[in-house]
Amino acid sequence: MTADNKDLRIQTWLEEHGNYLFSYALLSVKDTHLAEDMVQETLLAAMTAKNTFANQSSVRTWLTGILKHKLIDNFRRRKREVVMGDLVDQSKADQLEDFFRINGSWIDRPTAFPNPDSALQQKAFWKIFQQCSSRLKPQQAAVFLAKEIHGMSTEEICKEFTLNPTNVWILMHRARLSLSHCLKNNWID
Amino acid sequence: MLNCKQASQLASRAMDEKLSFWENMSLKLHLFLCRACTQFTQQLVFLRKVSRHSQINSVSELSEAAKQRILQSLEDKPTP
Repeated sequence: MTADNKDLRIQTWLEEHGNYLFSYALLSVKDTHLAEDMVQETLLAAMTAKNTFANQSSVRTWLTGILKHKLIDNFRRRKREVVMGDLVDQSKADQLEDFFRINGSWIDRPTAFPNPDSALQQKAFWKIFQQCSSRLKPQQAAVFLAKEIHGMSTEEICKEFTLNPTNVWILMHRARLSLSHCLKNNWID
Repeated sequence: MLNCKQASQLASRAMDEKLSFWENMSLKLHLFLCRACTQFTQQLVFLRKVSRHSQINSVSELSEAAKQRILQSLEDKPTP
């Protein structure tokens, strides 16, 4: 492959999929620069491993697959920090005092989101969702994203973050409560 | 009888795995009687839909400076 060809390909990937990959990375890593680095690493890996590109999948799917691996590697590097945070959180984990009274009833009763399906079509909604997920505590965010965005199983998450299944349920429950609450309070008109 | 805190915990766990027969029965019973927890379970389904939606990824844009920086750094790498 000539140098011109190589440049052209990278440039096209960056133009067509750069924002997508960047936004995807930002769900897992809060820091803009780190997210940019993830895009860069993904494109570099794609460039050196283009033989792994199977034509039946789209370029975007292929690039996203590489990015997912990069993000999971990044989780691994941060594992120590995530687990430490979790230990702090565990002592209070069963109280959930932000959401429930002592007798277990809701402090702020959940109500239906107005027009959830049309919200998905609006850019403003996605901004809010991104902001709400960025407010999650690091250990909740890591587990929630691993499960819901990267589609990892509870078993894989336990192994990856050295947690037991109960920890994962607690963190998922908390993350979901926080996200629901945040979406409700910031719902688009 | 479950309270709402317990019901919401079971409802969240039910998104990720199969509950035992009795857990499932007590959750169903609670949901039958409790509008708030029924709303919460619908929100859980919505959250999953949102998380797995492809739109999720098109919110932020790389700055021109970042694009240039990425291109530059990749050009510096030797062709494999």
